[in-house]
Amino acid sequence: MQKPILFLTLALAAAGIASLHLGLNVYGPATVLGALRGGEGTDEIIITGLRVPRTLVAICAGASLGLSGFLVQASTRNPLAEPGLLGINAGAAFSVVLGVTLSGSLSLAATGGLALAGGLATTAIVFAIVSAAGRTAGPGTTLLAGVTLAAMLGSLTQVLLLLDETALETLLFWLSGGFADRDLSVLALGLPTLGIGLAGGLIIAPSLDALRLDDDSAGALGVRVTGVRMGALALGALLAAGAVAMAGPVVFLGLVAPHLARRMVPRATSAGQLCVTLLTGAVIAVVADIAARLVVLPGEAPIGAVLALIGVPILIGLLRRKAEAAL
Amino acid sequence: MTRFAAPVRLLLLLVCLALLTVVATGVGSSAMPLHRVSAALIGQGDKMEEVIVWTLRLPRVALATLAGMALALAGALLQRITRNPVAAPSILGITDGAALGVVTFLWVFSDAANALVVSIHWQPLAAALGAFAFSVLVATLAVLDPQGRSPLRIILYGIALAALAKAAVTLMMILGPVYRAGQALTWLTGSIGAAHWSDVGTVAAGLGASALVLLWLGPMIRQLVLDPDSAAVTGLPVGRMQLVFLALAVALTALAVSQVGAVGFVGLIAPHIARFLHGQFSAGYLAAAALVGGLLTLGADTLARTIAAPVELPAGALTALIGAPLFLWLLLKETRHHG
Repeated sequence: MQKPILFLTLALAAAGIASLHLGLNVYGPATVLGALRGGEGTDEIIITGLRVPRTLVAICAGASLGLSGFLVQASTRNPLAEPGLLGINAGAAFSVVLGVTLSGSLSLAATGGLALAGGLATTAIVFAIVSAAGRTAGPGTTLLAGVTLAAMLGSLTQVLLLLDETALETLLFWLSGGFADRDLSVLALGLPTLGIGLAGGLIIAPSLDALRLDDDSAGALGVRVTGVRMGALALGALLAAGAVAMAGPVVFLGLVAPHLARRMVPRATSAGQLCVTLLTGAVIAVVADIAARLVVLPGEAPIGAVLALIGVPILIGLLRRKAEAAL
Repeated sequence: MTRFAAPVRLLLLLVCLALLTVVATGVGSSAMPLHRVSAALIGQGDKMEEVIVWTLRLPRVALATLAGMALALAGALLQRITRNPVAAPSILGITDGAALGVVTFLWVFSDAANALVVSIHWQPLAAALGAFAFSVLVATLAVLDPQGRSPLRIILYGIALAALAKAAVTLMMILGPVYRAGQALTWLTGSIGAAHWSDVGTVAAGLGASALVLLWLGPMIRQLVLDPDSAAVTGLPVGRMQLVFLALAVALTALAVSQVGAVGFVGLIAPHIARFLHGQFSAGYLAAAALVGGLLTLGADTLARTIAAPVELPAGALTALIGAPLFLWLLLKETRHHG
C-alpha cells in the first residue's frame, strides 16, 4: 500500500520536472532553475508563462478526473461508469458553445466559469430526474438519465456548431480539451473543487467499503445507501466540473485511472484506492501532456488522443496480468 | 401500453413505423401529400412521383429503418449479456474500428488534388473491413486472456481498443488535408445520404439471418437476465450463449455502421424505450427493441433532411434529440404509475 503511493509520488515529481524541460524547445536544468528563480529572458518566460501553468493544470485536472471516476464507479458499482456519463462534459460544452454563439467570444476565465456552471447545472437536472423517478430507482437509473441528458445536450451542441461556423472555429480548440495555453487563474476554479472532492471522498470512503457488498448488506452495516451513493455522485460531479472548467472536456482519463489504480492495489481500502487513483490520474495527465507536445511537432496533438495512446496499452497490460478487483 | 397483449403492442409499433414510413417518403424538397405518396407506393400514382418515391426516397427510408433496427438489436443483446444498462454497440470497438477503416480509405485513395482515385462505393467495404479487423482483435485479446473471458473483460478490451482507434482517427484527421477531415466527420456523425437498393438489400439480408438465429435461440435470451450461476442452474450453457450473442451483436453493428456511419445513441436507448413500452420479459422484446430502433433512426433521418433544408444535417446528430426526451418522459411516467 505504501509502496505504490511512494512510487506514484516519485513518478509524479519526475514527470512534473520533465514537463518543464521538454517541448518544442528542450531546455537544460540550468535554464529551468534560472526561470524558476525569476529570470527574464525569452526562454525563462516560456517556462514560467507556459510550461509551469500547463504542468500544474494537468496535475490538478488529472487528479480531479481520476478521483471523480473512482467515486462514480465505486458508488454505482459499475466498471463502465465515468464522469462523462453524468452529463458534466456535455453540459459544460453546451453552455460554453451557447455562450460563444450569443456573445461572440469569451475570455478563458469566463469560459471556465460557464463550463463549471453548465456542468453542475446538468448534474442537478440529472439528480432531479432521478429523485422524481422515486426511491426505487437504482444506480443504473442515474447513469441512464445522465447518459440520455448528455446525448441530448451533445446533439444540441452539434446542431449549434453546424449552424454557426465561426463558433466552431473559436471553440474547436477548447472542445477537444487540453492543458496547453491555460493560465494560472483557472486553478482558482479547479483547486477548491479538488480539495472539497478529496476531503469528501475520504470522509465517505468507509461507507464506500461497505457498498462493495450488495445494497442490503451495506444497509445492514448501518450505511445509508442512497445518501452515500448520491453524495459520492455529487462529489464526482463537482470534481469533473472543476476539471472541465480548467481543461475542457478531457475524456478517457476518468474511466481508465480508477481501473489502473484498482489493479495496482486490489486489496486496499477505498481510502487507499482513492489516493492511488488521484496520483495515477495526475501522472497520466502530465505524461500525456508531454507526449501531446512531442508527437506532431511543431503542432500540438489533442490530449484525448494522446491519453488513449498512452492509457490503452497500460490498461490492456494490467487487464491481462492482474485479477479483477471487486468494485 | 402494457394494458394491451404482447402481440397487439408489437402490432401498434409496426403501425407507427408504417405511418412514419409514409410520412417520411412524402416530405422532402418536393413535398407530396399523403394520398399521392400512398398511390405511388402501390404503383397507382404519377410516373414522375413514382420515380421520386421508388428510386430516391424509399431506399433511404428503408436503409435508415433497417440500420436502426440492427443497432437496436445489437444494443439489446449487449445489455442482456453484460447485464449492464449502459452497454451499447459503440463501446465494443466496432464503430471506431469502422471509422478507422473509412479514414484510412480516404487517406490511402486520395490523390494530391484531394480527389478520390477509386469509387466512393468502396467506402462501406472499408468500413466493414475496419469493423471486422477490430472485432477480431478484441476477440483475440479476450481468447488469449489468461484470466478467463467474462463479458465484462471483453467489453473492457473493446473500450480500450475503441479509444485507440478513436485516437488514430483524430490524429489522421489532423495530419490530413481539411477536405478529408470534413468527409470523415460527416461519416463519423452518421448520415444516410446516398442510399441504393443494393445497400438496403445487404442490411436486410443480414438482419433476416440474425432474426432466424434469434428465433431459434430466443428463449435463452430471457434466461440471461439471471445472474450467471442461477442461469447455469436453469440449464443454460451461459459462457457459450454469451459468446454467440456477442458475435451476433458484433455482426449486426458492423452491418449497420458500414452502411450508415457511426449513428450513435439508438443502440443504447432503443432497448430501454422498448423495455418501458413493451416490457423486457414479454415475448417479442427484441422485436420491440428493433421496431423502436427503426422508428428512432427513421425519425432522426427525416428531421435531418427537413429541419434546416436545403442544408442536410447528419442523422446521427439528431437521434439523441428525438430519443432522449422520449426516454426521459417514459422514465418519469413509469415511476409515477408504480411509485
